[in-house]
Amino acid sequence: MSTTTFAGHTDQTNVPAQRPERTPLRAKKLVPVDCGGLEPVANRPSLDEYLHMTWQRRHFIWADARARTLSESRRFLLGTVWLVLRPVLDASVYLVVFGLLLKSNRGVENFLGYLVVGVFLFRFTSGAINAGSRSIVSGKAMVRSFSFPRIALPVAEVTRQVLRFMPTLAAMLVLIVLIPPGARLSWRWLLLPVVVALQVVLIAGLVLLTSRMVAKVPDLTQVISLLNRFWMYGSGVMYSFERFTDNQTVLAVVRLNPMYQVLDMSRDCLLYARTPALWSWVVLVVWAALALAAGLVYFWRGEESYGTS
Amino acid sequence: MELPEQDVQVVVDDVHVRYSAPSSDRSVRPVSRVQRVAHRIVGREPTVVVRALAGISLVAHAGEAVGVLGLNGSGKSTLLRVISGLERPSRGQVLAASIPVLLGVNAALLPDLTGQQNVRLGCLAMGMTPDEAAAAYPEVIELAGLGAAVHRPMRTYSSGMGARLRFAIAVAARPSILLIDEALATGDAAFKERSEQAMEQMRAAAGCQFLVVQSAKTVEQMCTRAMWLHQGRLVWDGPAPEVALAYRIWATHIAKGNQDKAQKAFDDAFATGADTSLHLIAGLRSEAVARHAK
Repeated sequence: MSTTTFAGHTDQTNVPAQRPERTPLRAKKLVPVDCGGLEPVANRPSLDEYLHMTWQRRHFIWADARARTLSESRRFLLGTVWLVLRPVLDASVYLVVFGLLLKSNRGVENFLGYLVVGVFLFRFTSGAINAGSRSIVSGKAMVRSFSFPRIALPVAEVTRQVLRFMPTLAAMLVLIVLIPPGARLSWRWLLLPVVVALQVVLIAGLVLLTSRMVAKVPDLTQVISLLNRFWMYGSGVMYSFERFTDNQTVLAVVRLNPMYQVLDMSRDCLLYARTPALWSWVVLVVWAALALAAGLVYFWRGEESYGTS
Repeated sequence: MELPEQDVQVVVDDVHVRYSAPSSDRSVRPVSRVQRVAHRIVGREPTVVVRALAGISLVAHAGEAVGVLGLNGSGKSTLLRVISGLERPSRGQVLAASIPVLLGVNAALLPDLTGQQNVRLGCLAMGMTPDEAAAAYPEVIELAGLGAAVHRPMRTYSSGMGARLRFAIAVAARPSILLIDEALATGDAAFKERSEQAMEQMRAAAGCQFLVVQSAKTVEQMCTRAMWLHQGRLVWDGPAPEVALAYRIWATHIAKGNQDKAQKAFDDAFATGADTSLHLIAGLRSEAVARHAK
C-alpha cells in the first residue's frame, strides 16, 4: 500500500470532521450539463409501473425458480427423487409414532389422515416463509450484478417452493387414500386447489413482508422460525382445538387464524366430505388479500434499499 | 452559459459513498466502556466509517470509453456500482440516458447449471423475452468461444472461461452504457480481440463505456479518456494517454519504494487535473421521453 496522500491530510479511514484542504494550485472547472432526457439511476418507479416491470420479468422468475430447484437436487445422488421421497419419509415418522407407538387418535376421526394433511400443508407454509424471508439476503450477488425489480427474488423463491411442493402434495393425496380408514374421492377434492392457491397468496404476502425486514435486520430469521413454531401450535396441526376446549372465545380467535382455516378446509374437503363453511372462505380470502397488498406495498417502498451494503 | 452539442450519456454529480465496516484496529475501539462490553458480548468488532467515494463529478458522452485507474481500494468498483444504480450514494446523484449494465467479476450465474442454461437465465435477467434470448444465443456462444464446454456445468469452468461467458451475456443486451469491472483481465489473446471489437461496435452505436482496469497499458489501448482515483477522490480526469502515462510513472515509483518521487509525480498529476463541479440544466431537449414511460 502506498503512503501517497493528498496534500493537507493523511488518513481517509476515519472521516475527518471537515473536508480536507485541497492543493491551492488546482483549477476549478464548472461544467454546464443539459440533463434533459436523463433519469436518475435506481429511482423507485410508481407501484403500477413496478408491477408492470415485474410482469415483464415473469420469464426470468420462472426460469430462476426452475433452475434453482434442479441445481438443488443435482447435489444428491438420487436427485429429484428426493422431492417425493423426503415427504413420504417425514410422514412415516408420524405414522410410526402416532399410529403404532401411541395408538392415540386424540378423539379425532381418521386421525392419521388428519395428521398427514396438517403436517404436509403446514410444513409448506413454514418452509416457504423461512426460505422466502431470506431471498434478498441470499440473492445479494444477483442484486449487485443485475438491475431488475427486486421483487423478482422473493417471488421466484415462492414459485420455487410451490414447484417443490407439487410432488409433496401428490404424495399427501396418495397417503390419505392408502392409510386406513382411507379417504374417498369426492367432488370436493376439486376445492383443494382453490384452498392451496389462497394459501400460496397468503405465503407470498408474508414472504414479501419478511424479506424486506430480514434484508435490513438479518437477526429476524431467528425470530421468524420461532414465530412459525408458535403458529404451528395455534393452527391445530396435530390436535383438534374442538376436543381441547369449550371456551367459545378461544375457538373464535383460533378460527380467525388463516392457517387454521387452510388446514380445516382441506381436511373437510379431503377427509370428511364436508363443504367448507362460507365463514372459512371469508376469513382465508380476507387474510390472503390483506397479506399480499401489505406485502407488495411494503416491499416496493424499500426497493432502493436492497442494494446498499 | 453555452451548452456543448454533445450527447450526454451519464452524469455523476458530487457523489459521496461512505459505509461502516467492522475493524480489528485497536486504535478505533469504542471510547465508552459500555459500548466495548456490548461489542464483546455479541462478538462484534467495532465499526469504522470508510469513505469509499468523496465527491466525484463527471459527465460522459456517447462514443467515450472511460478507463478508471487506481490502486485496490481507491473506489473504482464502488464508482461503477453507483453509476449502475446497484448501490445508492450517501450524497449526490447519478443520471443516465438509459439503464447502465454492470459487468462484474462476481456477476451471479448459477454454478450448477450448464453454460447454455446460464446464457438463457442471464438474458432473461436483463429483461429479454424467451424468443429474444433464443435469438441472442448463437451470438453469445460465438463471442464467448467456449466450444463444447457450454454443455458442461459452470462450476467446471476455469475463471477465464467464466469471465468470457459473463462478458458475452452482458454484451448480448447491446447496452448503450456498459460498465466493466476487471472482467476482461482473464481472457486469452483471441478473446481479447473479439471483445475489443464487440465493444467498439457498441461505442459506434452511440454508447459509452466505463472500464475498471489494473494496467495503464489497457487504458491506452482501449479508452478515449481516463480517470485516476485515489482514496475515493479524483486525481486527474483527462485524455487516456496522458493520464495513463502519469499513472504509470507514479505506480513505478511506488513499486520501487521511491515514496518521495511518487508523491511528487502524484502532486503534479493532481495539479494538472481540476476540481469539476456540474451545473445541471434540466429539460432543454424537448424530445426527452422518460425511460419508464414507454
